[in-house]
Amino acid sequence: MCSAHAAVRTLVGEMVEQDDRPTVIDMEAGLEHLSRGTVRNVDYILTVIEPYFKSMETGARMNKLAKELGIAHVYCVANKVRGVEDEKAIQDFCKNRDMDLFGMIPHDESLWEAERLGIAPLDHDKTSAAVTAIAKVSENLLAANGN
Amino acid sequence: MKIAIAGKGGSGKTTIAGTLARMLALQTARQLVAIDGDSNPNLALTLGLPRSKHKALKPMPRSVVERVTTEDGKTRLQLAKSPHEIISQYGIDTPDGVNLLLMAAVDHAGAG
Repeated sequence: MCSAHAAVRTLVGEMVEQDDRPTVIDMEAGLEHLSRGTVRNVDYILTVIEPYFKSMETGARMNKLAKELGIAHVYCVANKVRGVEDEKAIQDFCKNRDMDLFGMIPHDESLWEAERLGIAPLDHDKTSAAVTAIAKVSENLLAANGN
Repeated sequence: MKIAIAGKGGSGKTTIAGTLARMLALQTARQLVAIDGDSNPNLALTLGLPRSKHKALKPMPRSVVERVTTEDGKTRLQLAKSPHEIISQYGIDTPDGVNLLLMAAVDHAGAG
């Protein structure tokens, strides 16, 4: 195994195990950290999928790897969802592939504005549809975790 | 509670990770650790760290992980310091009680 990845795996793994603060890890895009087990110590994996086939297919692969790592709670979160057709595509895919859908975040112009301005979505408009949906994901995670 | 956010590039992974981290910190009124595991890190922006402070972002050096020899002569990696020390030394305070750690340098160091 590449030593750099081993170092990251040790670091993430031990930080997660030895520190009791809640932790959110933004993983590198793609399957590598999952296939190398960098995040084997986490309680939750949330895989972000978009309502198009290649993205959902990637999400399904990621969730499969996460389950193989033995992670207790493996979910997906749909992002950039525009309307009922997207919602249905996501729901159907998740149902067919036995993926647990944890939340849907709507496509939201205010996120694009925030990106364009180079500021955080939460600081740009904390009442936007997308930020509200992410707040809901957070509440649901806390409820699922017994907080 | 330890949560990892995965996804394809461009899926909005970082936007969700950063906003979710802040929401969890706000809703629990607790300190939270956010780890940017990307070799091209930009979680800081979503966490609300002003751009003027991005130049001062200090990635963790490789030396936070050390190789030790165990009794049976094998080697393994372990943290050179406690997570508490690592966070207080390399963690970056961002709004709402989130502490950011950057993995990028740790990853790059062994690559050459």
